[in-house]
Amino acid sequence: MLKVIDVHKSFVGIKALDGVSLEVERGSITGLIGPNGSGKTTLFNVVSGFYPKDAGEIYLKGERIDELPPNEVAGKGLCRTFQISQAPEKMTVLENMLLAPKDQMGEGLWNAFFGKKRVMHQERHNLEKALYLLSSVELIDLSNEYAGNLSGGQKKLLALGRILMADPEIILLDEPTAGVNPTLNKSLMRLIEDLRKEGKTFFFVEHNMKVISDICDKVYVLDFGRKIAEGTPGEIQQNEEVLEAYLSGSSREWSRKVGIDT
Amino acid sequence: MLEYLAYLSIMTGIYGILSLSLNLQYGFTGLANFGHVAFFCLGAYTSTILVVLVKGPFILGLLGGMVAAGLFGLLISIPTANLKEDYWAIATLAAAEIVRLFFLNEDWIFGRGPYHGGAFGIGGIPRPLQSWFSATTYPFFYLCIVILCLVLTYFTVRFLTNSPFGRVLKAMREGDDLPLAMGKDVSKFRMKAMAFGGAMGGLAGSLVAHFWSFIDPYQFMPIETFVVWAMVVVGGKGNNIGALVGAVIIQFFYISTLFLKDFIPIDPQVLASLRMVVIGVLIVLIMLFMKEGLIKEKKRVYQR
Repeated sequence: MLKVIDVHKSFVGIKALDGVSLEVERGSITGLIGPNGSGKTTLFNVVSGFYPKDAGEIYLKGERIDELPPNEVAGKGLCRTFQISQAPEKMTVLENMLLAPKDQMGEGLWNAFFGKKRVMHQERHNLEKALYLLSSVELIDLSNEYAGNLSGGQKKLLALGRILMADPEIILLDEPTAGVNPTLNKSLMRLIEDLRKEGKTFFFVEHNMKVISDICDKVYVLDFGRKIAEGTPGEIQQNEEVLEAYLSGSSREWSRKVGIDT
Repeated sequence: MLEYLAYLSIMTGIYGILSLSLNLQYGFTGLANFGHVAFFCLGAYTSTILVVLVKGPFILGLLGGMVAAGLFGLLISIPTANLKEDYWAIATLAAAEIVRLFFLNEDWIFGRGPYHGGAFGIGGIPRPLQSWFSATTYPFFYLCIVILCLVLTYFTVRFLTNSPFGRVLKAMREGDDLPLAMGKDVSKFRMKAMAFGGAMGGLAGSLVAHFWSFIDPYQFMPIETFVVWAMVVVGGKGNNIGALVGAVIIQFFYISTLFLKDFIPIDPQVLASLRMVVIGVLIVLIMLFMKEGLIKEKKRVYQR
């Protein structure tokens, strides 16, 4: 589904990604972990077209995407969320949802003026879908609230809902559970598993090891921009190198947080 | 007095069109367009060229002015596509000055025949259907034309901002990243917002040219842009009624200082500069106490 081959990305003085290769299989839930600053978000930004890569290749369904701008990557069926909410705050939750669908006729000026009937039809269809998805992320009561008035956790849920409106084949989630309360978290995970059964592919950054071991088929571990391990969640928790990476200095706290036994 | 009132209403209506078009760009799309007067200027000059030199009808001037200003909007959004907000604003300010200086210096355009051009301006721009009316009734006729254009502009902007197209514009107002991640080609949307807002600004320009029947480059100084900005900010950005209310209020302040000289013994020259002070103070007060302007943006509520 998604194939990353030897990708490099440097910022001034820092190698953020140093030859990362990985593969996300169709219909899988793949996790990406690593200490702060290990390059996880940078990898997401490079894959989704927001940062140009320095070297390497990225393929989506066998098609090369590493030269495309972000909007075209999204058009090919890869959508991502942001670690920090980017939701337009002066738009309501529903407006946020309705923004997302691809191929909206009413976004073209010609149709907006002269294809009113078809646009209205599509809008109604999208509205129904939005309301359905909002109830599954438990935001239905806030439908007409400004996104800016939501809590951090609710914004994460909105981001997930919005991305489902866009209906991509592969979804990249950047820390989807951070700030979401534990009960909601569980239903979120169930939602992700249900969607996987419907054929969606997930690739996500996560700090909560419980979430990782509960639903991930495969986990990649980054440290200092390099892939240091890959495997099932069970294998990762036993991996010597992973433990060592997390035990070194500042990462100690992080390892405690994710529940790797130190 | 009544005619003066008609004159006031005409100017308010023309500025209302400018205010609505800037509201589409700034209020809804978040484009800090500091060069809005360029569209006004281009509309006025294009219309004048088409009617005075080409001897076309008024309506051709009107449409020509809109097309020219719209194309200019499109044109300036191409090289500026990758600029961040503040740099983008500076670029638009410069673009407007380029347009004005072009008409100031390229006097060959009107060089032949009885018309001057350049710094002398162009006089004798025909007013549509002037022979049908007397000097006293004509302003009321022209007021009708302006109101018609204003109403059309209002409904076009309202329609656009309520459509899915407008939804993308509103999303872009708070940054490009999210719309990009949702697969929207933001630079195309920006171009369209510039072209549409530009065409409406051009419409206001041709209306003013045929009303004054005289234009010169000094009527299109950057200060005009900021007067329109004041209208949008005071009235309420992101609200079309607000943009119109802002136009009325700012015009009122503008005009009221003219009458002030009858009551307060100060030099009229000083008074003229005082207007700008008054408008400036008004903007500061609005920014401090009513950040969203007099009329807040309306929440878009969707019902099943």
